[in-house]
Amino acid sequence: MNFSEFLNSRRDACRALVSELGKNFAYVTVLGSDVKSTAIRVNRNTSDIGEGGAAECGFVVKMHNGRAFFEYSLDDITGDIPALAKRIVDSVKVEDSIIDKEISVKLPADESMVRSFSRECDFDNYSDEELLKKCTEIRDAILSKSDKLLNAMVAIMPFTVSKLFISKNRELDQFYSWVNVMAVGVYRDSGKMVMAREGTYSNLMSEALAEMPSHLDRLVEKCEKLANAKPIVPGVYDVITDPSISGLIAHEAFGHGVEMDQFVKDRALAKHYVGDYVASPICNMHDGAAATFSTASYFFDDDGVLAHDTQIIKDGILVAGISDLVSATELGTEPTGNGRRQSYKRKAYSRMTNTFFSPGKDKLEDMIASIKHGYMLFETNNGMEDPKNWQIQCTAEYGIEIIDGKLTDNYVSPVVMSGSVPELLKSISMVSDDFKIIGAGSCGKGYKEWVRVSDGGPALKVRVKLA
Amino acid sequence: MMNRVINILKSTSGISDWKVNSTKTESTELFFVHKSLETVRSTDTTDLKVTVYVAHDGALGEASFSVYSSYNDEKIAEEIEKAKKKAGIIANQSYSLPENESGEYAANSNFADYDPRKLASLIAEAVFEADCTEGGSLNATEIFVYRDTVTVKNSRGIDKTQIKYRAMVETIPTFNGEESVELYEQYNFTEFDREAITAEISKRMREVRDRYEAKPPVEKLVCPVVLDAPELEQLVGNYIGSLNFSSVYQHSNAFSVGDDIQKDAKGDRLTLSMRGRIIGSVRSSAFDGDGVTLVDREIIKDGVGVALWGGTRFAQYLGEAPTGNLGCISLACGTLTDEEKRKAPYFRCASMSGLQVDIYNDYIGGEVRLGYYFDGEREIPVTGISISGKLSTAIANMRLSNEATTYEDYNGPKCALLNGIEIV
Repeated sequence: MNFSEFLNSRRDACRALVSELGKNFAYVTVLGSDVKSTAIRVNRNTSDIGEGGAAECGFVVKMHNGRAFFEYSLDDITGDIPALAKRIVDSVKVEDSIIDKEISVKLPADESMVRSFSRECDFDNYSDEELLKKCTEIRDAILSKSDKLLNAMVAIMPFTVSKLFISKNRELDQFYSWVNVMAVGVYRDSGKMVMAREGTYSNLMSEALAEMPSHLDRLVEKCEKLANAKPIVPGVYDVITDPSISGLIAHEAFGHGVEMDQFVKDRALAKHYVGDYVASPICNMHDGAAATFSTASYFFDDDGVLAHDTQIIKDGILVAGISDLVSATELGTEPTGNGRRQSYKRKAYSRMTNTFFSPGKDKLEDMIASIKHGYMLFETNNGMEDPKNWQIQCTAEYGIEIIDGKLTDNYVSPVVMSGSVPELLKSISMVSDDFKIIGAGSCGKGYKEWVRVSDGGPALKVRVKLA
Repeated sequence: MMNRVINILKSTSGISDWKVNSTKTESTELFFVHKSLETVRSTDTTDLKVTVYVAHDGALGEASFSVYSSYNDEKIAEEIEKAKKKAGIIANQSYSLPENESGEYAANSNFADYDPRKLASLIAEAVFEADCTEGGSLNATEIFVYRDTVTVKNSRGIDKTQIKYRAMVETIPTFNGEESVELYEQYNFTEFDREAITAEISKRMREVRDRYEAKPPVEKLVCPVVLDAPELEQLVGNYIGSLNFSSVYQHSNAFSVGDDIQKDAKGDRLTLSMRGRIIGSVRSSAFDGDGVTLVDREIIKDGVGVALWGGTRFAQYLGEAPTGNLGCISLACGTLTDEEKRKAPYFRCASMSGLQVDIYNDYIGGEVRLGYYFDGEREIPVTGISISGKLSTAIANMRLSNEATTYEDYNGPKCALLNGIEIV
């Protein structure tokens, strides 16, 4: 598989549109997106091959008139380019009643660059029949493991991304792929029904498929344990977080908290704490499409800015935020390659990519052994940010009780962790020396603008309120 | 484009049936930083999706794909052939597509009376009219005005189109003092009512001032918890999935028809209906994605599941009549008067990070960013706490307000009073 033929066929038209709109606007860019996405799903009773949710094909034109920004999203750029340019100019005109409200921001930089990026993809090696068969085999393997399983749902969801970015001085294109393989067990025991999930992911189908069979025993074991899980007694506990929950904390605490479009809007307390201790001195945190390799590892962002590795927290000190082109322009900083759109139909915002804590020096077994009574928390369910007031809510799928330094067989589910971000991060007393990134996430901003993200890190020892 | 696609579908052999869904969306969007207009957006896009059905070996397979405006006839034919091949390897239980209905429906909205650009600016004015409290401000505001033209056609004579209007305001009420606090507000509507918009944002401005003044309680609060309509909608919304035809067919439903979801109830019994339309709801619709005309259905009566609901495919699998995929919830009011509610202390959740409801693990809880403790005389703003409890206990002892309200896709009691929830 290669870069989109469709986008290649529209290069000249995009260049012509940039030139034509340049007569009205000082800064013009075009981003073309062609995302192919498939979802193959099998469960006990049905199977489906359809288009995945990420599929899209279209363009967004971004303009700056010397004061404010303007955008127009459309399905195709072809035909009479001057007429199209006129339609765009007319469509983004502002009513007289609010024109005096236009912000005044300097022009973004448009440095020269022409580059093509591509990453290996093996999706062409797998036919729909083969992938459907694989789903069916995995489903049957799960169902064979327990007669208490009501259903097993398996999905293979590959997608390829082609993006073309053209401005007056810049022409970039990129092609990359990702696949998520998901398995879900639906299990009933003693009248209680539970669901458990396992996932694998990679840029290569071969890797994601090869890894899944080793997860199936754990999936069914988890079903059994969750069916007998008890509610947690609310309180403040010593807690070990698995890499998924560590990543969720990073994401909600100082991922959303350092999205610099929030700095512009005075929505992030972090704006006032750059250079200050916000976490334990053994805490280091990064974000970036180039910071590690996972689902958000693109080559350039939706503003045409190359991928970065941004260190957000260094030895407990907040050192930097992440930005899209507009917020960086407004703040007078360099954009960090974090301008992302849900699709070509939506605005770009400052968004996370791959967000994680760096590994530490502790052994996980020593961390568990250090706890008299507490919990180890596993698997992200969801989380909610509050960058202004530094509150945090993270929901784990389950926890396992630790008594006298040992993991027990006592499962609790679900577990909601909440509290103050600095109190939580400053309570980090141990950081494990291992590291894992979970590449199956998606993230909204507020309650919309969903993009694919990964997060993770080592295990952390914290003290926090659980309910 | 749609007609071109249909002509090629009709001329393709080996297809049992087909369906084409089209949504043309035109939007005007304004993005403000504080009161300054940072970005103006406009969109004109069309999603066109084709589903191909192939009957084989007593089974039915289907596969879908998008058609993009760049596709010529040759490309469309190629994609249809690919989908036909995919559908040929899928073997699901057969079902029939809905037949022989056509119609054009226009949503009852005054948006049609306005130029979208003008409407967006009027909405902005209405929002900023609420930005007038001392110490308060709206730090970010996004305004979206949409016009959707939704069409579904199939090979069995379904040909329906509806025009829908919707608007969304996302804004961040903020109060600035020694510290600065904010709340999140997302307000969806289908009718332009300047006073209603200003009133909604003004209410949030008052709440954010309260959040600024709010303090964690000195002592642990032990009292019933009150959920307002937004959280109540989330709570009851968790029960509707189990009564959907697809959940039952796929064995993923937590309960079913005949099951009492309020065992040992001591409060008001739940009576809940799924509805196609609620005035003002952006999820109101005349028909679903298959073209099935939406039919309201009562699914829970007096706390007991009484009927299933959902789309045509899984309805046919279960031998039931489809309701279509209904998007709105109607919950019957209860017996709790405002006077009765105020006879004893309670804790009201005004703004939560997100109510967590886990029907499988029997859990309800979440972090409360702004709550009000009613001490028997007045509501005192409280923050820094969470709620947590057993869902089954909360539901069994729930009292529902006798006053109705409408919030987005929910029409029902304006609040619920829950016992047995821990406030921590």
